[in-house]
Amino acid sequence: MNSLHKFLAVAGCALLPMVVSAETLDPDDPNDVIKMQIKQNCTLEEGKDTIYWWSGKMYSRRPGERDRHLFNVQCMNVRACDILEDPKKGMGYRSVSREVMFYLDPETNEVVDTWVNPWTGEEVKVIQVANDPVNMQLGDGRFPAYAYNDDGTPRARFSAFEMGGMYLNGGSAARLFYDNPLAGDYQAYVGGTYHAMEFGTGATPIDDLLDGNADHVKDRVISWARVSKFLPWMKMGDRDGVVIFHTAGLRLAGFEDLPDVVKDEIRENYPQYETAPPLDDMRPNETSWTVTKRAIDTWREEGTE
Amino acid sequence: MKRLTVCRARHVMASLAVAALVFAASGSDARMLDPDNPDDAILAAQKMNCSLKEGEHIVYWWQGSAYSRVPGERDRHLFNVEGMNIRQCKNFEDAERGHGFRSVSREILLYLDPETDEILRTWTNPWTNEEVEVMHVANDPVNMRRPMYARSADGKPYKFDAVIVGNRVLEGGEAPLFYKNPLAGDYQDYVGNMYHAMEALNSYTYADDVFDSEKDKLDSYVLSWARFSEWLPWMKMGGRTGMMIFSTVGGRVDGYEGLPERIKDEIQANYPIYDEPPPLDDDRPNVTSWSYFKEMIDARAAEGGMN
Repeated sequence: MNSLHKFLAVAGCALLPMVVSAETLDPDDPNDVIKMQIKQNCTLEEGKDTIYWWSGKMYSRRPGERDRHLFNVQCMNVRACDILEDPKKGMGYRSVSREVMFYLDPETNEVVDTWVNPWTGEEVKVIQVANDPVNMQLGDGRFPAYAYNDDGTPRARFSAFEMGGMYLNGGSAARLFYDNPLAGDYQAYVGGTYHAMEFGTGATPIDDLLDGNADHVKDRVISWARVSKFLPWMKMGDRDGVVIFHTAGLRLAGFEDLPDVVKDEIRENYPQYETAPPLDDMRPNETSWTVTKRAIDTWREEGTE
Repeated sequence: MKRLTVCRARHVMASLAVAALVFAASGSDARMLDPDNPDDAILAAQKMNCSLKEGEHIVYWWQGSAYSRVPGERDRHLFNVEGMNIRQCKNFEDAERGHGFRSVSREILLYLDPETDEILRTWTNPWTNEEVEVMHVANDPVNMRRPMYARSADGKPYKFDAVIVGNRVLEGGEAPLFYKNPLAGDYQDYVGNMYHAMEALNSYTYADDVFDSEKDKLDSYVLSWARFSEWLPWMKMGGRTGMMIFSTVGGRVDGYEGLPERIKDEIQANYPIYDEPPPLDDDRPNVTSWSYFKEMIDARAAEGGMN
């Protein structure tokens, strides 16, 4: 993106005759909706990093036994946005990010390297979630996100409801069910499909989100939960059950505001996660399953599986 | 939904200095409650739950979706849901244990058509193709069994377990439930069928709200509530493998009148006592969807109405 785009992004409708409207964004205006999304996900200051942090717990759910609290989790995402302007499609953006989730001992709150599986008795190597990148992927037409379609019809919609001076969103879920990179070529026949559900909620003060003079929201709280099959590194094979993650978090002012356990682990073992990927990053996304596959393949080559 | 009191490592990343300044500048007698002092922490906990003013009604509302999860198939969006809880607290003072409170409440969760959002009366189970009667959640009461005090009976100080970042206060927790299923038999340890669910709640407010000693109740409270349970009894899934997942978001509304019209209409038509919480000294045992369902089908069986 060039500097003209940046100027447009920040100045918004100030270029239009009605300058007064620049003060408050309009949730019915698709260009403003894009701005609101950018303010929430990242910042209108192009390329500047935004940090979200969330933490909580992970449980097992197996038929016939009480759910077990297996780990505490500490998570963060560092994201930046490429801000775009298209003569037909209006304002748009594409985000690029890196994301970690660390598994902590539920008693000591230290990041765990190995874990004794209580069902199999086997000690296994823990593979932390470290996904680089987690970007808006081009190709299927969804991204970059734009205000309008090619034919000029509005595309960006503001999906939140108002409650007590806040905009709340969430209450639905991403239902994931697709070919598992760790399973074979006949999954429709014998199973093994990747099967998970993720859901998040969020809340931001209305004033903060609609402020046309601020380039990002200062106050946003989130929840994130996930139900999935057992994690591959747990080596649970075909055993019945799922894992449940439940977390809460918020937008932080910067990397330094993260808890020490997260900062220390990133600086020691995942240094590139201090910043978002470059804005023109076109790599395919990583998921925990692809990361795990690579790790297992490496162990096999080294003979350390 | 229950208020959760699950222990959690407290993680204070920033001091309360910002909020403290606000009070210094206001010049009033107001002071900041200290979350590390059990006598203050219990007041903060009460504000997260209800009001410090005994008998003041606090009303929660939330909405979201309910999904199935069956091994080997994509999760299905079965219902939208909309819920409310109306509660009040009774205050207690104890020479040894300090301040205490106990909440009493009634709670509704309505199952809605996932496309039209209409309140469902019947539902065709997609796995059995049987049309079943929908039984909404209407739990009266959902009470704290006993008061919670600044100090427990054995003298342990109450800890306000929340994440505090600047002026933001986040409280999260999960209640893994695993107990005798009122709808199952007398040999559950041997043949299974225990009640098995997890309720998960996150609450969000502000430090200058919850720790302001002058405020009886919070100005701002947002929640997310999730639930992971077995099939609902009225779905008639029997012993089939699978589970239900609920994802919702909501907060406090301004009293009963602050609820959306549709849920108020439904309450007036079918659950008229739910416009008020139970009495402060209500000592009935709690109702759950499972015990409520049992009562219902037992009553109908006695009338010869249900097959």
